Amino acid sequence: MGFFYISDDAPVAGIERLGDIAMLVAGGDIDYDASPQLRERLADHIHKGARRLVLDLSKVTFIDSTAIGVLVGAVMRLHEEGGGSLAVVCADENRRVLRIFEIAGVDSLIGLYRSREEALLELATTG
Amino acid sequence: MRATVQQARDTCTRSELRLPAQPSKLSVAREYVRDAAAAFGFDAERCYEIAFAVNEAVTNAIRHGRPDEHGEIHLSTLGEGERLTLSVRDYGTFVASTVDYSPTAEGGRGFALMAGLMDTVQLCVSSDGTTVRLSKALT
Repeated sequence: MGFFYISDDAPVAGIERLGDIAMLVAGGDIDYDASPQLRERLADHIHKGARRLVLDLSKVTFIDSTAIGVLVGAVMRLHEEGGGSLAVVCADENRRVLRIFEIAGVDSLIGLYRSREEALLELATTG
Repeated sequence: MRATVQQARDTCTRSELRLPAQPSKLSVAREYVRDAAAAFGFDAERCYEIAFAVNEAVTNAIRHGRPDEHGEIHLSTLGEGERLTLSVRDYGTFVASTVDYSPTAEGGRGFALMAGLMDTVQLCVSSDGTTVRLSKALT
């Protein structure tokens, strides 16, 4: 079994309260084995009312098409619930994960940012 | 000619892994393929791409295919000259997907991603199984 983790309410430098934004951070390998945990965690936040989600994948070492599908599913769920957004954070250094996002062609659905601060700034601007 | 044939044989390498058709074994498949690709001479980035593509094929076999009588699917590597070919075989009969390929669909991206990272992707369907062949050359 591959190594995978996901946690909530990750800290952002200089920001103490995130308001209605759910901040999650994941690491390790997100494959077909780990994707159900990611799906469950995102669905849980949406179910509890979060409409703006930030998911930091900077420490993810592997991501496959099922994980991309989970993220697309979360975006569609937000749309069904009346609107919202999912921002994915991936540091420039993580070229492998960024490359998969480029090839997957989901940039029209999922905003991709280089840092948590950049993602939060965008969410604050767009509401 | 004889020397050429002998040389080709010398540079032909094969290996096989029989993998329990379980999601928890995907990391084993990736590690196996990364090691095989590295031993063949690919750099770390190409090894990652090859492991990614094989992971997609193995995932498809686990999700949609059928294992052999031992509950396993077969992953093999064949190195010929400059080219490494990886085959993922299961014993189900491939059925063309009716998945919605729109950008908003959750599924249906696997083959596009494989094609984006490998030189060739072949789907071989027969009455006794389905094999996905993925190949990439060193140069």
